[in-house]
Amino acid sequence: MTTSLSEVLDSRRAAELHKAARALLKEPLLLARGPRTDGYLLVRRYAAELRDWFDRNAGWSLRVDAESARLRKTPGTLAEPTHPAREASRAGVPFSRRRYVLLCLALAALERGEAQIALGRLAEQVVLDAASPHLTAAGVEFTLERREERLDLAAVVRLLLRYGVLRRVAGDEDAYVSGVGDVLYDVERRVLAGLLAARHGPSLIDADGFDERLEALTAESALDSDELRFRAIRQKLTRRLLDDPVLYYDELTDDELAYLTRQRAFLTARVSELTGLVPEVRAEGIAMVDPQDDLTDVRMPEQGTHGHVTLLLAEHLATADGEVSRGELEHRVRALAAVHGAFWSKSAKQPGAEGELVELALAKLTALGLVERTPGGVAALPALARYAVGETVVVESAHRTSQRKAQQP
Amino acid sequence: MTSPHPADPDSAGPVGPAEATQAAEAVYAPFAHLTARNAALYRQVMRVFLAAKERFAVHLRPEDVHAALPPEHRPAGPDAVAKALDSLVGWGNLRADPDTSRVTAVEDFYRRRFIYQLTQAGEAAEHALSAYDEALGRRGALQAVALHDIVTHLRTLLVLAAEEEPDAAKAHLVLSALAHRFEALAENARAFMGSLQRTIDLHGVEVEVFLAYKDRLIQYLERFIQDLITLGGRIALLIGELEDQGRVGLLLRLTAAREAADAAPDEADTAEIQAYERWAGRWVGLAAWFVSAEGRESQARLLRGRALGAVPQLLSVVRQLNERRAGRSDRSADFRTLARWFAEAPDDAARHRLWRAAFGLYPARHLTVDADTLAERGARAVAPSTPWAEAAPLRISPQLRRTGSYERRGKPRRVQDRSEQRRQLAELAAKQAEEIAAARARLATNGTTRLSALGELDPVAFGLFLRLLGDVLATWRPGTTTTVATSNDGTMEIRLTVLDDDTTAEIRTPGGVFRGPDHTVEITDLTMGIPAGEAR
Repeated sequence: MTTSLSEVLDSRRAAELHKAARALLKEPLLLARGPRTDGYLLVRRYAAELRDWFDRNAGWSLRVDAESARLRKTPGTLAEPTHPAREASRAGVPFSRRRYVLLCLALAALERGEAQIALGRLAEQVVLDAASPHLTAAGVEFTLERREERLDLAAVVRLLLRYGVLRRVAGDEDAYVSGVGDVLYDVERRVLAGLLAARHGPSLIDADGFDERLEALTAESALDSDELRFRAIRQKLTRRLLDDPVLYYDELTDDELAYLTRQRAFLTARVSELTGLVPEVRAEGIAMVDPQDDLTDVRMPEQGTHGHVTLLLAEHLATADGEVSRGELEHRVRALAAVHGAFWSKSAKQPGAEGELVELALAKLTALGLVERTPGGVAALPALARYAVGETVVVESAHRTSQRKAQQP
Repeated sequence: MTSPHPADPDSAGPVGPAEATQAAEAVYAPFAHLTARNAALYRQVMRVFLAAKERFAVHLRPEDVHAALPPEHRPAGPDAVAKALDSLVGWGNLRADPDTSRVTAVEDFYRRRFIYQLTQAGEAAEHALSAYDEALGRRGALQAVALHDIVTHLRTLLVLAAEEEPDAAKAHLVLSALAHRFEALAENARAFMGSLQRTIDLHGVEVEVFLAYKDRLIQYLERFIQDLITLGGRIALLIGELEDQGRVGLLLRLTAAREAADAAPDEADTAEIQAYERWAGRWVGLAAWFVSAEGRESQARLLRGRALGAVPQLLSVVRQLNERRAGRSDRSADFRTLARWFAEAPDDAARHRLWRAAFGLYPARHLTVDADTLAERGARAVAPSTPWAEAAPLRISPQLRRTGSYERRGKPRRVQDRSEQRRQLAELAAKQAEEIAAARARLATNGTTRLSALGELDPVAFGLFLRLLGDVLATWRPGTTTTVATSNDGTMEIRLTVLDDDTTAEIRTPGGVFRGPDHTVEITDLTMGIPAGEAR
């Protein structure tokens, strides 16, 4: 054995720290019970190191207690609309306005309530709260009599169940939606307490415009000295490197770019040692890429029809110049269907399906920072060139001899 | 001392309900001023009378009352005071007697002059009210010192009871002191636990104050629990000893007799019995407080349990308070404000951004790279100033590019025909079964034979024989002469008996000769009655 025991232990420790950090980054609220118990236990074991690292480098606070581990993430950029709240079902439809408002009102009602709540009672309180003048002025009304509204409330409750804020004791949401039953939940107050991650309480903010509100929500304390400013820049860059797939240089201000140019190696090394991501540094920006294909919610390339379409469209866009209109993309999909259609699902081969396929593919590509939407269609961003078709590599005859060996009995 | 009973409304025979309520109202009329309109003025007036009584000034005139009221409650003229005094007389708190002192002015002569004093009912009402105020304000205490005193008194009682002729005076004194101390202890403990419960529920307690004194409170509780455990045990022992031979009963009777000697003339005959009952009752109460009986725990243990339970409850309250303080002012208001912001946001993209910024529950997202590309980059590093378009792209399997999945979808494999192999295996199994059956038949002795008479065995039969021998010898114990065993698969039974003569048995096999002391043996094949197809 050339490696000593201490080296083996160190490497194992590093691997476990990577796993713990990745578990937290993928799911910032880990519960002690439920499907992610292993991640929670790992995080608990390395809680001190993780807390220290996140606090110093990303400015995020980590709170681990007996029931949950919560990393209060603040995004490095406020302009990303690709992380909506999604339904807890497989379809994962993003939340509509009504559902968002219902979610906040339900949380407000739960906060005032006791250790248990029934869905009917929750609905009553939500309806009462929804009668506030601001909400009616904004045009949102709830009576929770109609079936769609009940479906919305059930979706909200399912999201809360997934996050562990509620725990079902008896009953079923479908029965509530049909109007014949009710559901009883336990409220996990600690989890509820940790749900909001904003630095400042929204009720203390007076701003009126949407962007000002967003700014005020995440504003840091006054940056008086140079040191504080640099620290803020470092934390912002680290947050982006941890959360976002690609950090383009032209999105940064001059100060930030100057800082990044000086400290790039340091920042990427810090992120690598925590998560095991590898920096891909290019002229246009930095992407922290994952050798394990694990720390992401949108994968590319992916198997399946949608993944295939995305990959092919990515290749097409990588070679195209400038803006490409949606019509052109749909045309391309039709051409591709003629070639590769045998491998696609039946619904994708239907004549009118290109629109949906293109939309899904573009959503994935935008989410991964590979294309951007323009008024006329989409335009490729520099990182898309990763997915261009490279020169073919010939696999040697070792492949063929192994095939021959397999055929012998 | 017997307490004066108010005139019992029901003692005058059956009365109608209306009269009964009227009578009850009349009894409790002295309390009516508490809910009247000018209750504050009435209270002040009564307080003036009480203060005057302490100075032994029993009679007061309206002017005196008016002068004695504190400035903030004093009404403008003495008429309001006179009216208040008249109402109080009407309710029975005060008594008005005509004022016969000399006057100097004419209008004073024509005015109805009264002089007021407290009635017995009024005084009793005032006592009740002050006791009420005091009880409300009392926080109580857990008196460990009282426990020490109780121990001392009980020891004294033991000494007294051990004498031939216990001194009645001393017994009376000690018992009175004991009862007094015990009452104080129980009363204070009750008040303290009540106020502790209110503290834990945070009624009327300032958070800062509570946090500041919780440490001292916990120490206090722990010290009391400690004392209660040690001294409580000692007290229980002493009580046990006192009750042991009815010694305490004797003391109680002496005390009762001594008290009864003081009774007023009209109560003399029942006084001693009543006194004894009272004292016996107090003693039983004391015993019940410290000694557990079956099915009922002593009060001391209950108190200990509650005090012990109070400590973690306090700590959890502190923890909740800290959590609440560590968060924001009012989370419910925060959520409602957020609901408003979501409603007023310009479009869906804005809402998603708000969700991300406010709740921070989004997962990280990263591009992937496969091991081959990484290895290649490791071999030939790419300069940081290379644009993406000029660097080598990701290697993606052509399979994936063409079909959208990594596996090759081909024809499913054909089911192969294995009947030939199965037939061969079946033949093999049948042959083996025949051999074993033959071995069994060979071994089975009809009746008892000697081992030496078994003769020569083929290998299969010999193996079976050895196994049987092993099974039966496993059951051999020192001192047995005969034993029975069945083989492991239950198909053969062997009965072995020791022979007294020292002959040896020999069994010849193709592999060698097997020798051992001779025994009589009976081997039966248990599958004989079963048809060949089912025997294994």
